[in-house]
Amino acid sequence: MGVMSAVAPTERYRAISPAEFFYKYREIAGFSNPARALYQAVREFVENALDATDSHGILPNIKIIIEKADENREFYRVTVEDNGIGLPPHVVPEAFGRVLFSSKYILRQTRGMFGLGAKVAILYGQMTTGRPVEVITSQPNLRRIYYFKLRIDINKNEPIIIERGSWRKNRDWHGTIVSMTLEGDWSRAKQRIKDYILRTAVVTPYANIVFMTPDGEIYYYERVIDKLPRPPKEVKPHPYGVDLELMKRIRDRSSFSTVKEMLMKSFQGIGNITASSLLEIAGINPDLSPKSLSDKQLLELVNAMKNYKRFRAPTSEALSPLGEEVIKAGLKRIYEPEFVEAVTRKPSAYQGHPFIVEVGIAFGGKVPLSSDKYPTLLRYANKIPLLYDEGSDVSTAVVKEDISWDQYLVRLPAPIIVLVHLCSTKVPFKGVGKESIADVKEIRNEIKLAIQEVARRLRVYLSRKLKEEEKKKKVVSLAKYVPEVVRALTIILGDGQGEEAKLLEEKLVEIVSLRTGLPRDEVYKVVKSVEIGV
Amino acid sequence: MAISSVDKYARQRSLEILRKKFASIAKRILEGKKPVLIMPKRVLSNTIYDMKKKLLLLGPEMKRRSLLDVNEARKFMQTLLMASIIYEALVNDEYPTIRDLYYRGKHTISYRDISGKLHHENTWDEQRESDAVIRDIEVFLGVLREEMLILSKEKGKVVGNLIIKSGDDVIDLSKMGHGAYAIEPTPDLIEFKDIDAEFVLVVEKDAVFQQLHRYGFWKKYKAILITSAGQPDRATRRFVRRLSEELKLPIYILTDADPYGWYIYSVFKIGSITLSYESERLATSNAKFIGVSMTDIFGEEEVAKNINKLASIFGKEIKKIISKHGKKAYLSEKERRNYIIKAKKKDVERAVELVGYDVADKLISNPEIKKYIRQKKLGVSGYPWFRTPEWIKEISIFFSKLAKLEIEAMASKGLKFLADTYIPAKIETGDWID
Repeated sequence: MGVMSAVAPTERYRAISPAEFFYKYREIAGFSNPARALYQAVREFVENALDATDSHGILPNIKIIIEKADENREFYRVTVEDNGIGLPPHVVPEAFGRVLFSSKYILRQTRGMFGLGAKVAILYGQMTTGRPVEVITSQPNLRRIYYFKLRIDINKNEPIIIERGSWRKNRDWHGTIVSMTLEGDWSRAKQRIKDYILRTAVVTPYANIVFMTPDGEIYYYERVIDKLPRPPKEVKPHPYGVDLELMKRIRDRSSFSTVKEMLMKSFQGIGNITASSLLEIAGINPDLSPKSLSDKQLLELVNAMKNYKRFRAPTSEALSPLGEEVIKAGLKRIYEPEFVEAVTRKPSAYQGHPFIVEVGIAFGGKVPLSSDKYPTLLRYANKIPLLYDEGSDVSTAVVKEDISWDQYLVRLPAPIIVLVHLCSTKVPFKGVGKESIADVKEIRNEIKLAIQEVARRLRVYLSRKLKEEEKKKKVVSLAKYVPEVVRALTIILGDGQGEEAKLLEEKLVEIVSLRTGLPRDEVYKVVKSVEIGV
Repeated sequence: MAISSVDKYARQRSLEILRKKFASIAKRILEGKKPVLIMPKRVLSNTIYDMKKKLLLLGPEMKRRSLLDVNEARKFMQTLLMASIIYEALVNDEYPTIRDLYYRGKHTISYRDISGKLHHENTWDEQRESDAVIRDIEVFLGVLREEMLILSKEKGKVVGNLIIKSGDDVIDLSKMGHGAYAIEPTPDLIEFKDIDAEFVLVVEKDAVFQQLHRYGFWKKYKAILITSAGQPDRATRRFVRRLSEELKLPIYILTDADPYGWYIYSVFKIGSITLSYESERLATSNAKFIGVSMTDIFGEEEVAKNINKLASIFGKEIKKIISKHGKKAYLSEKERRNYIIKAKKKDVERAVELVGYDVADKLISNPEIKKYIRQKKLGVSGYPWFRTPEWIKEISIFFSKLAKLEIEAMASKGLKFLADTYIPAKIETGDWID
C-alpha cells in the first residue's frame, strides 16, 4: 500500500457555541430513529475520513466496519479508519468531545458543512449505549500514535477523558481510527448504508474502500486511478454574499487600521478603486478605523455592496470538482459500462455563490435498466451522494423535463446512468434533510447544458453502434446463404471433391467481408452456424 | 423406358448451357469478384408491345441479382438452389414437374445471428416463389423449361380430324370418344401426321367445349376444337401456335363477353406479361376474337348511342368501323334480360386496366362508377393492343351497359343456335376482331 507523503496544513480550530442544543439538533442531523442513526453515523465518519485524505492530497484508504456490539440489544459498533492527515493529539478531546468545535467554519467546499454530525453521532451513541468513543490518530510528522477514550459531559459541553495513551510508531502510519457504539437497526438501515457506500465509491475511484457488515459480508472497492480531485482552497467571501452579521464579525475581529483596508483584505474582488467607490456610495470616510463603524454605517456599506454591479464573478478556487477523469474512472469501476463520458462545466455563480456542475453518463455494460420515465440518477453535492427526495431535486426536473432522451437515441427504459455533481461553497439544499437541491435557475441551466453536452457524445456513440449493428444484421442476411450457394454451385460444377466447395466458401466469406467491412471471422461465424436441413 | 432422341438432345444442350453459365459465376467468385446473375428484367415496365409483330416482348433492361444485395440475396440463393435441382434432374434423366421442383428445393436453413440467436428460414415457402425462380432461370439461361424437360400440369384439351405422333404412339384425335386428348406439357415433341380440318376453334370454357364436342360440331364444320379451360397454359398456347404456323389454319377464339375473356384472347394472340420472353414461341398473332362480342349481344345501335364519346377519342376514323356492319343483336330484348349479368366493380376496374383511364373516363356515364374509377384507377395507362378503335368500340358498350355475358348463355339459347347459327355466321361474315 503506497501511502503518499503529505504535509499536514495548519487547520484552525475554534469553539463557537454551547452543546445542549443537540437535543433540538439531533432530528435535523438525522438521528431520529435507530435505523436512521446508524446510517447517519456511518455517513458522518466516512465523510470526515474522506475530507481528511483527498482534501489534503492523500489517496484514501478507508475501512468501515459495522459489528454487532451486544448479544441482547441492538447495539452496533461503527469503526471508520482512514489514512488521512490525523489530528494533533491536544485537539482530539475537543474535536470529539465538544459540540460545535470544528475546523470547518471557514469558507471552502467540504463534505460536512458544519462538522457537527460526528459529534452528534457520538452523543447519540453515548446516550443510547452509555459507551465511550475511542479515537486513535497520528499525523505524518509525529513519531507517536495517540489513543483516547472519551465521553462528552453534556451539561458542561466538555470532553471527559476516560483513558489516554500513546506509543511509538514503528511504521509510517498516519490517519484516524474512530470507533463508537450506538443503538441502531441494521436490518432496516442495511440497504441505505450499502447504497451510500456504493455511491460514494462511484465518485472516489482514487480510494480503496473496504466495508464489512454485521452479516459478515465484505465489500471491497479497489482504487483504479491515482489522480485526486483538485483540493479546495480557502477563499475570502465574495461581496455578493455579504450580510450584516458577517460584516459585524469582520469588524469585531479585524485588526485593520482603515475601513478601506478592511474591505480590500476581507473580500475577494475588491481592490483599491472598488473599495473607494463602495465607501463613497455608503458615505463612509475610507480612513476611519473599522472598530469605530456603527451598525448603521455597516448596513449602509452592506447595501452599497449588494447593489454594486461591477464585481468580478466569485472565484471558484474554493471549489473542488471531481474532474472528468475521476467521474469516468468511478463510473467504470462500478458499472463497467460500454460508454462513459463526463464533463466539468466552467465555474458559474448564483447569488454570489460560486458553483460548478459536473455530469457523467454511463451506458450499457453492468448499468442497471432505468425506469421508462428518465435515466437512473446519481446525485451528488460536494461529493456527497444524495440518496433521498429524488423527486424534488433539480436534477430530476432536468432529466425529466428539459432533456428529450429520444433525441439522443436513448429509448427508455435503457441501461443508462446520469451522474450529476454540484459543488458549491453553498449548496442550495431543499429542506432540512439535505437530500435534494433546490430548483435554482442558474444551477438548473448549468445542469441542463452539462447533460446535453455529454448526451451529445452518447448520441454519437449510439448512432455509430446502431450503424454497426445494422451492418452486422446485413452481413447475417447475406452470409446465411453462403453454404446453400456453395452447395448448389458444387453440384452443377460437379467435381464432388469438397476442395472446390472449401475454396468457394472461403472466397465468398472474403468477398462478403470485403464488401461489408466486417471482419472475416465474424462472417465465418455466421457461415459456420448455418445448417441446411432437408 | 426408351428415351426419345429429341429428349436426349434437349438434355445435353440444357446441361451445357447450365454448366457454362454457372461455371462463370464460380469463376467470378474465385477471382474475388461480386457474385451476380445478370438477366433480363421480367416486369411490366420492361415488357414491350411490338406494334409491327403484334407481340409482347421482353425489353432490353437487365437486372443484376447480387448475393451482396440484401434485397436480392435470398433470390440469388433460390436461383442457384433451383439451378442445382434442375441440373440433377437433367443428369438423372428425370421429368420433374414444377411442383416436384418446389418440393425438392424446399428445406430449412438454420443460422445464428450475431447475438447467437438461432433462426430458421425456408428456402421457399409457396410454390409461387419457386415458380418465379424457374422463370428467372429460363430468362437467365435463355432456355425454356420445356427444353429442360420440366413438366407442368396442363389443362388444354383437343379433338378433331388430326392424327399426331406423341412419343412412340400415333393418336387419332377424332377417335377420343366423349373424352379428348390432353395436350402434353412438351407440345414441341408432337409430330403432326395428318389433318382434315379448315379452322381451329378455341373455347375458353371447358363445359362449352364438351357440349360442342358431343354435338359433333368439329365433324360437321371440319374444325379442330380446343379448350384452354380458363387462362391458357404454355402448352395449349404453343399447340395452337403450331396449328396456325405449321398447318396454316385460321384460329378463332371464343370467350366470355367480359374483361377476363378479352384478356384471354390477347394472351393467345400477343402473349402475357409474365411470360413475355416466350411470346415469340407462344403467341399466335393471327388469332381472331370471334366472340362473344358486345355487339352480338346489343347490336350496332348501342354503339351509335356512344358515337359522340367515341368520336371524341378517335375523330372521324370511328365512322368506318360503325358503317361496316350495322348488324342486329343475336339476342332478343327478352333473352338479354335473362342472360346478361350485371358487371361487378372488379370487372369495370379490369376493363379500365385494358383501355386506360383516359378512355374509360370518357365512356363511363354512371356517375357513381365514374367516381369510383377515378379513385381507384386514375392515371392507369392501359395496354396499347386494347387501345384500338375496334376494342374501344367493344368495350364502350360494356361501359355504357355495365353488363357482361358468359358463353354458356349462348348455349342456353340453344346448343343448336350456338353451333349451327352463331359460330358459322360469325366466321362466314368475318364478324370478328383481329
